[in-house]
Amino acid sequence: MQRLFKYIGGDKAIWMVVLFMALSSVLLVYSSIVTLAYKYQDGNTMYYILKHAVFIVTGFGFIYIIHKINYKYFSRVAQLLFWISIPLLLLTLIMGANLNNASRWLVIPIINQSFQTSDLAKLSLIMFTARTLSIRKDQLGDFYQGFLALLIPVGIITVLILPANFSTAAVLFTTCMMLMFMAGVKLKHMAVLIPAGIGALALIFTIATVKPELFPRAETWKKRVERFIGGEEDRDGNYQVEQAKIAIASGGVTGKGPGNSTQRNFLPHPYSDFIYAIVLEEYGLFGGLIVMMFYLILLFRSIKIVQKVEHSFGAYLVLGLSFSLVFQGLINMAVNVNLLPVTGQPLPLVSMGGTSLWFTCISLGIILSVSRSVEQNEIEAETAKSKKGGNYVVS
Amino acid sequence: MEDKGSILKRTYFLYMMLGVFAVAILFKVFQIVFVQGEQWREKAENLTIQYRTIDAVRGNIYALDGSLLATSVPIYEVRFDPNAEAISDEIFNQNLDTLSQCLSKLFKDKSKLAYKQELTHARNKGERYHLIRRNVKYTDLKKMREFPLFNRGRYKGGFLYVQQNKRQKPFRVLAARTIGYDRDGSAVGLEGAYDADLRGVSGKRLMKKIAGGVWMPVSSENEVEPEDGSDLVTTIDVNIQDVAESALLKQVQKHGAANGCVVLMEVATGEIRAIANLQRGEDGRYYESYNYAIGASTEPGSTFKLASYMAAMEDGFIDLDYKIETGNGKYEFYGTRMFDSKEGGYGTITVKEAFAVSSNIAVAKIIDKFYKSDPQKFIDRLYSMRLNEPLGVEIAGEGKPFIKSANDPSWSGISLPWISHGYEVSMTPLQILTLYNAVANDGKMVKPMFVKGVQKHGKTVQEFEPVVLKDRIASKETISKVKEMLEEVVKNGTATNLRDANFHIAGKTGTAQIAKGKLGYDKVAYQASFCGYFPAEDPKYTCIVVVNAPSKNVYYGNVVAGPIFKEIADKVYSTSIDFHEELKEQKDGEELRTPVSKSGFAPDLAEVFQDIDVKYIQKNQAEWVLTQTSPDSVDMLPATIRENLVPNVRGMAVEDAVYLLENMGLKVRIDGKGVVKYQSIQPGERVIKGGTIKLQLT
Repeated sequence: MQRLFKYIGGDKAIWMVVLFMALSSVLLVYSSIVTLAYKYQDGNTMYYILKHAVFIVTGFGFIYIIHKINYKYFSRVAQLLFWISIPLLLLTLIMGANLNNASRWLVIPIINQSFQTSDLAKLSLIMFTARTLSIRKDQLGDFYQGFLALLIPVGIITVLILPANFSTAAVLFTTCMMLMFMAGVKLKHMAVLIPAGIGALALIFTIATVKPELFPRAETWKKRVERFIGGEEDRDGNYQVEQAKIAIASGGVTGKGPGNSTQRNFLPHPYSDFIYAIVLEEYGLFGGLIVMMFYLILLFRSIKIVQKVEHSFGAYLVLGLSFSLVFQGLINMAVNVNLLPVTGQPLPLVSMGGTSLWFTCISLGIILSVSRSVEQNEIEAETAKSKKGGNYVVS
Repeated sequence: MEDKGSILKRTYFLYMMLGVFAVAILFKVFQIVFVQGEQWREKAENLTIQYRTIDAVRGNIYALDGSLLATSVPIYEVRFDPNAEAISDEIFNQNLDTLSQCLSKLFKDKSKLAYKQELTHARNKGERYHLIRRNVKYTDLKKMREFPLFNRGRYKGGFLYVQQNKRQKPFRVLAARTIGYDRDGSAVGLEGAYDADLRGVSGKRLMKKIAGGVWMPVSSENEVEPEDGSDLVTTIDVNIQDVAESALLKQVQKHGAANGCVVLMEVATGEIRAIANLQRGEDGRYYESYNYAIGASTEPGSTFKLASYMAAMEDGFIDLDYKIETGNGKYEFYGTRMFDSKEGGYGTITVKEAFAVSSNIAVAKIIDKFYKSDPQKFIDRLYSMRLNEPLGVEIAGEGKPFIKSANDPSWSGISLPWISHGYEVSMTPLQILTLYNAVANDGKMVKPMFVKGVQKHGKTVQEFEPVVLKDRIASKETISKVKEMLEEVVKNGTATNLRDANFHIAGKTGTAQIAKGKLGYDKVAYQASFCGYFPAEDPKYTCIVVVNAPSKNVYYGNVVAGPIFKEIADKVYSTSIDFHEELKEQKDGEELRTPVSKSGFAPDLAEVFQDIDVKYIQKNQAEWVLTQTSPDSVDMLPATIRENLVPNVRGMAVEDAVYLLENMGLKVRIDGKGVVKYQSIQPGERVIKGGTIKLQLT
C-alpha cells in the first residue's frame, strides 16, 4: 500500500472515495442493466458490464495521468477547450444524432465513440471560468470588468447547451454562479440575474409556444414541471416517480441486497438517471446515506485542498470542479426521491455513462493534480524548514 | 492569496447550503420509506413478481399402429407493437410496404393495401399490442421472423408472440368423441380418463414483469421444472376406424338417422379397434358429438333375446330343437298384445328357427312358461351373466344397465315376456357388445379395452392387460348352442344379406321401438341394430352397429345396421393378416390416374404434387397458374394476372380467387362452395376499385 501510494499523489481520501464509488458503480450497474441487456443483447449482461469496466479502468488511467500534470498548464488548456467547445456545441445542435428529441451526442470520428458535447463544454467552461477568475481576481468587484466579463462566456455555453438539455444547462449555470460567488463576485451584481433569468425563461417559453421546432424539448420540460408541481395523475405521467418511490419504499432501511432490485425492470434508465433509486432499493437507507457521504466527503476534502493551495487558479479550479460534481450528484438524488422534477442527470462516477465517466475522471484528475502540487509544496517547505532547523542545531 | 479568508467563508456557506440540500433529500427518503412506505410496498407486490405456471407438454394419443390420434402443437398469437421505442417514423415507413406485402403473401387473407392501412392506423392510434393474427403455425412464425421490421425482434421491431398449445387430432373426426378433449375443466373421452397421465406436471417459474408488460423469468432455471405428459397407446386401428366411420356416415345419411354408433372389438382381449359415434346436427350434418356406444343406455330389443335363450338353456328348459307354437303372429299376454314381424305368423318352429327369424312371441312364451312361477330365477340368470353391472370402462359417462328384479314395484305380469325380447330393460351398445363378445370368446367376458399402454419418451411405462369380467357366463354347451343360433341368423334368418362366400358372420339383428318422451307415444322411434362376430368358426372380432330412429320406414336391423357391419367386417377381413396367408401384389393395369387439380397459386400446387408424387409440368415461373390434367401429368399454364385487369379465376379454389381479386381492390361475393365456375366480371375487363364481383362455385 505504502509503495502504491508512492506513485500516486494528491489527497488519499479523495482517491479512496473515488475508488469506492467506482466499485459501487460496478455493483449497481451490473444489477441495473438487466433490462437493457435483455432489450439489446439477448440478456447478455456481460457485454455492458465489461464495457462499463473498460470505461472505469481507462477513467482511472485518465485520473492518474492528469494528476501527474502540473495544474498550471490547465489554464491554457481551458482557453483552448473553451474555444473548441463552442463550434462543437453548434455542430451537435445542428446534426447531432437524434435521441429523444434531444441532440446531445456527437461521434468522435476515429474511435467511433459518441459523446455528449455538453460534458466537454461543462468541463471547459468551469476551467475557463476558473482561469478568468484568477486573471481578473482584482477586478471582481467591478460590474463590467468582473461580473459581465465572467458572465458572457458562461452565457454563451449554457445557451448553446440549453435547447437540447435544459437541466445540464441549468446545473452548469448554477455551478458557475456558485463558483463566481465563492471567488468574490458581488452578490448585488449577481442579483441582476434574478429578473434577467425570469425574463429569459419567459422568452424561451414564448418562443417554444409560437415556434415549437426551435425548442423541441419544451413540451417535455413543461410536462415534467407541471407534473411535479401539480402532481396530477395522468396515464404514464408519474410513472417514473412512482416506480422510483416503490423502489425506495421496498428498499427500506437495509435494502433488498445486491442484485435483488426488481424496480430496475420498471424504472427508465435505472443504470444512469435513476441509479440512486436502485441504491436505495438494494442497499436501503444506509446505502443511500453512504453514497451521499461519498460526495460530501469529496467536497469536504476538496475544500481542504483549497485552504492550502497557493495559486488562486488552483483554488478556483478545485472549487468549480468539485462543486459541479457534487451538485450534479445531489441533483440526481433529489430527482430520484422526487424532491425535484424529473431530469436526466446521471450520478457522477456511479452511473453507467461511458464518455461522461471519462469527463468526470478528468475533473477528478485535475482536482488531484492541484492536491498533488499542494502536497509537493508542503514537502518542499518541510524539507526547507528541517534543513534550516538542522543548521540551527549545528550552529 | 490575500483574500482566502473571504473565499473560504463563502465556500463554507455554500457547503452548508449543499448540506441542507442533502438533508432535504434524506428527509424525503425517510418520508417515502417510513410514512408512505406501506402504500408503495403494497403496490410493488402486486406489480412485480409472480409465480407463473409453465404448462407441461401434454402427451400424445396414438393409434395401435403408432399413428397420432391427438397431439399438442404449438400455435402462436402474433402481435405487433407499432409504437415500440426503437421504431422511428423513418424505420416504420421504410419497412411498411415490404412488411405488408409479406404478410399479405403469407396469409393471403388481406391485400397488401389493407395490411398497410391497418398497421398505419395501429401506429397512429398509439397501439402497443396490435393483433396481427391468431393461430399461427410454427412454420409461419419462423417465416414471419424474417419479415422486414419483424426481423428486428421484440424490442427493436415490436414483434411479439405468445405461444399456446393447441390440441389437434390429425385424423379429425375419427373416433373424435372417444379420444375426447380436455378444455375449460371439462374432460371427455380418453383425454379425460387419462388426464393425469397425459397432463404431466406443470412447472413453476418465478417471473418478473418488465417494461412492456412482458413477463421475464427471474432466474435462468425454472423453480419447478415441468414434466412432460405421458403418451397413450390406444387400441384403435386407424384404418378400421376410418372404414367404420365412413360406413356409418353413409348409412345414417341414407336413412336420415338421428344418430348411430359402431364399435368393433377384438374377441380375445376386448380391445376396441374402432368406435364411431355420429349425431345429426342442427344443420343436417353429422358430428361426433356424443358417445352413444358408451353412454346411451336404451332398450336393446331383439339383440337381448340371446341372453334370454341362454338363461333358459342354462336351466335346461330348452334345446335348439325345442318346438314352440307362435301361432298367427299375434299373442296376448295379460291383455297386452305382442306381434311378430311376419304377417300371419311363423306357426310352430324350433328355438333355432325362432331365434333366426327373431320371433318375439317364441321367446316371450318360452320365458313366460318356464319362469312364470319364479321370475327372479330368470332375472338371477341374467345377473349371473353380469348384465346388470356397468362394465367400468375408464371413459366417463358409461350408461348404467338396468334389469329390474322381480321384486321391483314396477314389476308386472308382462314384465317377463317383455324383458325376454329386450324391453323393460336398458343397456348400452357397448354392454350388448360385451355380452356377444363373451359368447364369441367361449363364455369368457372381457372388459372393453381402449388403451394398451402408457409410454413416456417412447418407452412403455405401463401396460394394460385384458380384464376378465367373468370367466364363464354360461356352460360350454350353452355357448356352442347359441353360437349355432347366431350363425343361423345369417344363414337363413333375418340377416341373410350378410352372407359372404369368403368368411362367415354370426350375429343378431335387433329392432327396438323406442317411445321417447320427446317424440310422444304416437311417434315411435326405432332403433335398428346388429351385433355379431366373425369369422363365425373362429371368432376374431365382435362388432355392434346401432342406428337410431331411422325414418323412411326402413327400420329393420338387417337393412340399416347390417350393411355397416358388413363393410367393416370386409375391411377387417381383407386387411387382417390373421385371415390371410399373404396379400396379392397389385396388378400392373391398375395404375393410379392423375388427379384433376384446381388452378391456383403455383408454389402451393407444386408442393402438393410433390407430396403425393404426381408429375407436374411447369414451364414458366408464373405465380398463378391454370391447370390442365393430361394422362400422366398435370400441366401448369401461366395465368395472366395484369394490374387493373380482372383475372380469370375460373377453375381456381375459392381462397385463391378471393385473394387475387381482393388484392386488385374488388369486393368478392361468393355463392356455393368448391371451385369457381363462373365469375360475374369477365376476365380482361378493367378493375373498378371497390366494385363487387360475384363468384359462382360448383
